[in-house]
Amino acid sequence: MTELLFFVEVVVAGLLAGTMYSLVALGFVLIYKASSTFNFAQGAMVFFAVLAFVGFMELGLPFFLAFIVTILLMGLVGFCTERLVLKPLMNQSEDTLLMATIGLGFVLEGLAQAAWGVEVRRLDLGIGDFPIQWIIDTFGLFVSALDLTAGLVAASLILGLSILFKYTKMGLGLRAVADDPGAASSIGIPLNNIMLLVWTAAGVVALVAGMMWGARAGVQFALVDLALKALPVLIIGGFSSIPGAIVGGLIIGATEKVLEVYIGPYFGGAIEGWAPYVLAIFFLLYRPEGLFGEKIIRRV
Amino acid sequence: MTNNSKDILKIENIEVMYDSVISALHDVSLSVPRGKIVALLGGNGAGKSTTLKAISTMLASERGKVTKGKIIYDGTSVTNQNPTEMVGLGMVQVLEGRRCFGHLTVEENIITGAYSRKLTNSEMKDELDKIYSYFNRLKDRRKSQAGFTSGGEQQMLAVARAMMAKPKMLLLDEPSMGLAPQLVSEIFKIVKDLNEKEGVSILLAEQNTNIALKNSDYGYIIETGNVKLHGTAEKLLNNDEVKELYLGISKQGRKNFRDALRDEVNHKKENKFSKTN
Repeated sequence: MTELLFFVEVVVAGLLAGTMYSLVALGFVLIYKASSTFNFAQGAMVFFAVLAFVGFMELGLPFFLAFIVTILLMGLVGFCTERLVLKPLMNQSEDTLLMATIGLGFVLEGLAQAAWGVEVRRLDLGIGDFPIQWIIDTFGLFVSALDLTAGLVAASLILGLSILFKYTKMGLGLRAVADDPGAASSIGIPLNNIMLLVWTAAGVVALVAGMMWGARAGVQFALVDLALKALPVLIIGGFSSIPGAIVGGLIIGATEKVLEVYIGPYFGGAIEGWAPYVLAIFFLLYRPEGLFGEKIIRRV
Repeated sequence: MTNNSKDILKIENIEVMYDSVISALHDVSLSVPRGKIVALLGGNGAGKSTTLKAISTMLASERGKVTKGKIIYDGTSVTNQNPTEMVGLGMVQVLEGRRCFGHLTVEENIITGAYSRKLTNSEMKDELDKIYSYFNRLKDRRKSQAGFTSGGEQQMLAVARAMMAKPKMLLLDEPSMGLAPQLVSEIFKIVKDLNEKEGVSILLAEQNTNIALKNSDYGYIIETGNVKLHGTAEKLLNNDEVKELYLGISKQGRKNFRDALRDEVNHKKENKFSKTN
C-alpha cells in the first residue's frame, strides 16, 4: 500500500512539476502559431520578465503594481520586437526569423543583466515549496504548495488563452495569420497588430512562468536554459497546440520523475536530465506533428 | 480626379522591379470602368499577377516595387499604402492559388473576410446569409475544415471571403487555375452575378482567354511586361491574332496542340526517312 501511495506521490509531483514546463512551452506555442518559428528568445524573455519584476519589487513597488508594470514592460518589448525585428524581416524565410530570435535572446539577456545586475535573487511569492498539511491529512500524499499553485495558474492561463483564440475576433485573426500571413493581409487583417498581441501575450506567459520557476530555483541566469526543457514538451505536444503544450508538459513531468525514481538507480541516477529528450526522439520518429499538433493537411 | 470619375482604376505606364534588379513590368497602362469586368490576359510570366499585386500593394511583401508610372484607384494615388489600408479603401485581391486558411472552417474563413469591418452579430449573420445565397455549395460545407474541401470549393471560398470585406473593386488572380471546365464556368457565373448585383468592379487575370473574354466587358493582353493589345471583349474574341495565339484557332480552322504536335512528328519522320534512304 505504501508502495502504491509512493508511486502516486511521484506521479502527482511529476505532473505538477510538468505544469511548470507547460508554462514555458506555452510561450513558444503562441509565437510559433503566429510566426511559424521557434522563438529561441523565449528563455531570455522568461529571465528578462522575472528579473524586471523582482527589480521593481526591490525598488519598493508593491507586488501587484510590480506585476502590472512588468506586463506593460513586456508589452513594450513586444512592440519593439515587432518594429525592430519582425517588420524589417517580414517575408524573409522562417530560418532567417529563427536566427533573429537567437539574437533577440542575447539582447534581452544583456539588457536584463545590465539593468538589474547579475546576482541570484530570491523571489518570495508567499507560497512555500513545502507540502500542504491538509492534503497530507486527507490523502496521505506529500504535495508541494508551490507545485499546486503553478498547476492552477497554468490551468487558468490555458483556459483564458483558449477562449481568446477560439471565440474572439483577434483570435480568429491570429489563427488566420498562423495559416497564411499573405492571404490574411490580402483581406485586411493587420499583421503588425496581431504580432504585437502575440508577443505581448508571450511576454506575459514568460513573466508568469518566470515567477513560478524563480520562486523555486531563485531568479538567476539559469532560467534562460528552461527553453531547452520546453523543446521535448513541444515535440510531444505539438508546436502549434495550446492543449498540446499542457499535455506535453504533464507527460514530460510525470515520466521524468517516475523514470528517475524507479529506473534512475540502474543508470546511476540523474536521468531526469536526458530522459525527456529520449522520449522526444521517439515522438519525432513516429508522430512528428506531436500529440495535438495541427496535422499537415494533404488533399489527395 | 474626382471620386465619380468613370474609371474606378487607372494605371498609367507603370514599371515594376523585383529586388531592384529584375524588371517584371515595362510599360503597362490600363483602366477599369466603374462596375465593369476587365480581363487581363497573357501567358505564364507575362506580368498579370505582378500587375494585380502592384495595384493591391501586395508587391512590397515580395520585395517588388513600382518604379515608374502611377496607379490611381477611386481618386486616390496608390503609393505607400499597405494591403490593409487598401482593403479599407474597398479594394480586395483574391490571390492566385486560392490561399484559404486550411485549418479554419469554411465559415470561419468567410468571417475573416470581414475583419476590417465592425459588424454586430446580427449584421454578420445577414452578411453570411447574403454570401451563402451566391455560394450555395459553401453553405453545405460551412462546418468543414477548409483544407479538406475541393479545389473548386476553395476557389469559391476565396472569392466569398474577399466579398465579405464589401469591396468596391475585386482583383481576381486566375480563378480557373487547376479546375475542371464545369467548375470554371460555375465560378465565372458567380463572379458575373456578383458584378451585376453587388456592383463590384472586377479586374481579372486569366490564362483561360476564352472564358475570361466571354465573361468580361473589356480585355487587355500583356506579353513580357507590356500591353500588346486591348479592346472590347467582343473585338478581342474576333481578332485573328488573338484567335491564333490565345484561343488556338487558326484561319484554317481549329488547331490544337495535339494536331500541331502530330504535324511536327510526321514532318520529322519524313525527314528521317529521306536521310537514311
